[in-house]
Amino acid sequence: MRKSKSFGDHLVTVLAYLFIGLFGLLCLYPLVLTLGVSLSSEREIVMHGYSAIPQKFTLNTYIYIFANSGMRILKSYGVTIFVTAAGTIGAMIITSMIAFALSIKSLKYRNVIAFLCNFTIVFSAGLIPWYVVCVNYYGLKNNILALILPSIFSVWNMFLMRTYFSSISPSLYEAAKIDGASYMLIYWRIALPLSKTAVLTVGLMYALQYWNDWWNALIFINDKDLFPLQYYLYTILSNVNAISSGRIPSGAAAGITLPSETVKMAVTVITIGPIIFLYPFVQKYFVQGIMTGAVKE
Amino acid sequence: MKTERIQKKAPGPKGDRIKEFLREIKRNKGLYLMCMPALIVLVMFCYIPFAGTWMAFTDFNVMDGIFGSKFVGLNNFKYFFSESSMGWRVTYNTLFINFFGIILGLIVPISISIFFNEIRSNVFKKLTQSFMFFPYFLSWVVVGTIIYGFFSTDVGVINNMLRSLGMEPVKWYAEPKYWKGIIITASMWKWSGYSSIIYMAAMATFDGSLYEAAKVDGANKFQRILYLTIPMLKPTAVVLTLMSIGRIFYGDFGMIYGIVGNNPVLIDAVTVIDTYVYQSMRTLGFSYATAIGLFQSVMGLILVSAANRLAKKYNDGEGLF
Repeated sequence: MRKSKSFGDHLVTVLAYLFIGLFGLLCLYPLVLTLGVSLSSEREIVMHGYSAIPQKFTLNTYIYIFANSGMRILKSYGVTIFVTAAGTIGAMIITSMIAFALSIKSLKYRNVIAFLCNFTIVFSAGLIPWYVVCVNYYGLKNNILALILPSIFSVWNMFLMRTYFSSISPSLYEAAKIDGASYMLIYWRIALPLSKTAVLTVGLMYALQYWNDWWNALIFINDKDLFPLQYYLYTILSNVNAISSGRIPSGAAAGITLPSETVKMAVTVITIGPIIFLYPFVQKYFVQGIMTGAVKE
Repeated sequence: MKTERIQKKAPGPKGDRIKEFLREIKRNKGLYLMCMPALIVLVMFCYIPFAGTWMAFTDFNVMDGIFGSKFVGLNNFKYFFSESSMGWRVTYNTLFINFFGIILGLIVPISISIFFNEIRSNVFKKLTQSFMFFPYFLSWVVVGTIIYGFFSTDVGVINNMLRSLGMEPVKWYAEPKYWKGIIITASMWKWSGYSSIIYMAAMATFDGSLYEAAKVDGANKFQRILYLTIPMLKPTAVVLTLMSIGRIFYGDFGMIYGIVGNNPVLIDAVTVIDTYVYQSMRTLGFSYATAIGLFQSVMGLILVSAANRLAKKYNDGEGLF
């Protein structure tokens, strides 16, 4: 009796290690594969297929990319960095201000305003009217603001921040108000400094959203100089066949075999590079954000 | 006179209410000002476009503008559900992909969180959680390249494996029938780490003494999972599922386009309402595309309201929003 019980318990433990271990590998493997291929020689990949271990290790693909389309990639990097920085800062200012205001219980119309926010989650006009308004009235076609403005305010992130702000004791505000501080000053001097984790968490969520966005570019941007990195990768991917079918400007040196397989993976690595680099430092803030968002109140 | 008395609950006649409104605005001027930027963004990008939904009932052309174009009633909607259009097809695709996405999105994250809880080694936990959470940080375009790495006909990992097993390689990118499955799996892959964190957050609040008591009573690990953990995870699972059901008419545009892009062979099999709207905009005109979008929004609103009501019933009055 006792023995079979401990056997069952052991079985659960073994299964747990197996399941989690395998799933973890399943999540890691594609990334190692991408990196491995980007560091391989194109010929090996074409002959033997994709492999996670670099075949005939070489940095040629990266050298090739920067020699041939270095400016393009650098420009796209510039666009992405600008959009991410400007968007995140703007979004944080807008979001934290309204989240703070809605966390003040004495604000009479806060429920009306919260409803106006909530309603946009459950009902929307749809893509086309939105597109027509953006292009015809706001002039967002081929405008870098098109990559920033449409996603500058997320109602979800606002409610996440409000949860943090609501946990600050109102007596702190009362004391400041007696000393004559305005709400603006209270927000800036008390609420924000006390919610550093929230600011960091929500800020990182916005930054990730801007970094990974290519949909707005697909909809609004035709001008190559305004392509963000992700959209540049998207165009490479969907043009893979066009590139390898030789529809390359005749100015490009003839006779060079196009390392398209390794190029694809190298551009992917370049795109996710900063994320991989920052991931160990930012992971815990995302976990925190998800947990706060999940556990209501 | 009589009606006024009935309305007594609100602060008196209309004039007073406006005065009261102005007084409140004045008193909390700073706070209302702080709401303004966000509200302006919402008005610009969410509320003003509502006027454009009128296009759905017209035969829109640029010359006559949104309100000058010919009124055609429900014709655009009728066409959407007629034999010659993709209407039923894309609706089916959307529901199919989302339905199995929801099922997998329940089973896998819950299994992860339960098994994760059984692991004692902290190093192992930290490492695997980092791995599992990472896909959440990738854009669908990046996921698209990864999928290419697996399913490419000539160099892909899967065909390599098939070849080394002596089997015929498959031309994945020319076979539409596999792609619903591939997309559902990719979605599971990207979101499981994220969702499992939500379940782990719920598990962290469980009462440890219940488990001790069960142990004393001789329940083994398996029984403790079956009779304690799973029932206690149920409220979280129900709320998350209701949320997904509320959005079941919404496809993930980025996911579909990031993975299959414009591939003409595959697109029919995986076109969801959202991508169909985008394609229709370019080929079938703005009015028709607007009508599809409106159909989607209305269905979404109905389902979200229903889901919210169910959640309230289930959750002691606390809804989803």
